[in-house]
Amino acid sequence: MKRRAFLLSAGGAAAGMVLLPQLARAEAGRIDWYTGSDQNILDFWTNIVQPKFEAANPGITLNLVDAGDNAGLQAIGDRAVAAMASSADPQADIFESFDPRLPKGAIEAGLYVNIKEAGLSNYSKINPLAFDGDYSVPYRGSQVLLAYDTTKLDPANAPKTFADLIAWIKANPGQFIYNRPDKGGSGGNFVRRAIYEVNGNDTSKFTVDNYSAEAADAALKPAWDLLMDLAPSLFDGGAYTAGNTPSLQLLSQSAVTMIPAWSDQALQAISTGVLPETTGLVQLSDLGLPGGFSRSVILANGVNKDAALKLADFLLTEEIQSAVLTELGGFPGVAWDYVSPELRDKYKDVIPTTIPVFPGGDWEKAINDGWYRNVAPNVVRE
Amino acid sequence: MIIWPILSAIGRTLWLPGADGVSRFSLETYVFFFSDQYSINNLMVTLWTTGVCALLLLPICLPIALYLRFAKGRLAAYVQGLAIFPMFVPSIILSYAIIRVLGPNGTVDLLFNSVGLPKIRSPYLTPWGPVIGLVWDNIPLTVLILLSGLGAVSDQSVEAARDVGARRWAVLWHIILPRITNSILVAISFTVLGIFSAFTLPYVLGPAAPEMMGPFMQRTFRDLNDPTNAITQAVISFAFCIVFGLFYVRSVAKNRKT
Repeated sequence: MKRRAFLLSAGGAAAGMVLLPQLARAEAGRIDWYTGSDQNILDFWTNIVQPKFEAANPGITLNLVDAGDNAGLQAIGDRAVAAMASSADPQADIFESFDPRLPKGAIEAGLYVNIKEAGLSNYSKINPLAFDGDYSVPYRGSQVLLAYDTTKLDPANAPKTFADLIAWIKANPGQFIYNRPDKGGSGGNFVRRAIYEVNGNDTSKFTVDNYSAEAADAALKPAWDLLMDLAPSLFDGGAYTAGNTPSLQLLSQSAVTMIPAWSDQALQAISTGVLPETTGLVQLSDLGLPGGFSRSVILANGVNKDAALKLADFLLTEEIQSAVLTELGGFPGVAWDYVSPELRDKYKDVIPTTIPVFPGGDWEKAINDGWYRNVAPNVVRE
Repeated sequence: MIIWPILSAIGRTLWLPGADGVSRFSLETYVFFFSDQYSINNLMVTLWTTGVCALLLLPICLPIALYLRFAKGRLAAYVQGLAIFPMFVPSIILSYAIIRVLGPNGTVDLLFNSVGLPKIRSPYLTPWGPVIGLVWDNIPLTVLILLSGLGAVSDQSVEAARDVGARRWAVLWHIILPRITNSILVAISFTVLGIFSAFTLPYVLGPAAPEMMGPFMQRTFRDLNDPTNAITQAVISFAFCIVFGLFYVRSVAKNRKT
């Protein structure tokens, strides 16, 4: 009998815990914020944005929720669409980084606030390169650039165009390495930059929905030839690391002179001492290595929509944007004129003039598998 | 619980959904695997890695196990600690440690350099990278299994052989080895099964191509969104593993009988 009673109460408690979140209601004055980004972003919000925002806006608190990944955010987006249909409370106000085109038809249904018309006081400061439609607030960015060892390569001689880079790699065999394109964005975007190069640097040639097997063959084949031609001049005669971090490690061990790296990872590695102070960063000037901005979206049917808009405006202040640079190692979402002059000077080499964004979807599959089948093997290594 | 996923995997790769939604019997994913040079290379490098690791493990672990069986005292305890240590090191940490130590400009290079020796050709990002990592990682299991086998060798039998004038090698060959053949078989089949399906070490330390089956399957499944081919690769890997599994079952069954 005792055992049964225990089972009953335990079962009841478990059922109660399952039901509990369902009973939670959005509170006025508490912004429900969701992210699908990595831990470093959540840390940045917990340690920097939240205290600063709450201090500046008494009466408003932030409820930071980790949705896990982009798929998690999309599930909450779906829920918000459903909530809108029944005029219910979506229990969400702002997504840290999300594409307003998802869930499909959300913009047409009026799920997201039109930021352009929302009257943010800092809206005009946003970097024109960063916009992706009117429904999101770009507030941080990251781009792949070249990180190199200034003790071995004079910054004055660092390659400034892709052709220079190829020439430099061939002239200095064994001093460059990039990671497998599916294992990390630094190598992945280096490969994509090579694809742009052989297609006349025409970024408009690739969009999410213009993929076809024939187009891919025509566009990618020359890139594979270019990369295969490059392979013998890479580190160890054609080795590829298994991710962003192993590439940084090889650079820090001084095994190579130059790698492609994410700007935020490289800046963070330099500030934490993983990479030495003598690490130089350079972006190609003919067409930058690809990257992207992270853009927040605000739900129009959220209970705290107005507070969330205040938060979005706050994100674009110099205080937070400088922190994006110094604490997060990302790019500011605002134009560089709105960043403090000393920071602007410190990071002048990495200030992007162009940020190409390569489409995902079927192209990504074609690039990853094509690279593995064409570039990775067929190398005679001694 | 174990058999059902296997049967379901085999079923899903043989009966593919047709264009009209009706599933049909087809061997095409297997034909594709065995006609695709890239896939075959991956399978070959997996077999090669497994074979080399197994070959290296025995001569490394048998002396350690013998030493631990017959030696007594403090030093033996240290050796045992060192031999079992890899068991408690997660493979992702091991991978980065190996890059630090054996990688380019790693600890070994620094030590060599300080005494004026040339740099080593680093095994990092070559097929030898995962081999070194996997051998180190599998030492504890092999040593433990061999030790348990050596437990069956009684001190008396060894001493009896010595009394009649047997030399060291003779004792090993005629007294010890015959009693632990089973353990050796078990140890090899266990490590081979583990190495065949290894993921982290070949992923981080190995070359981009050819890949071992573990990373290859994961990439096919996740990056290429191609579960059918990933399952086909899994079934093929399983077919190889079952051969080693049978070794194990057979030696256990033989043990039961005697």
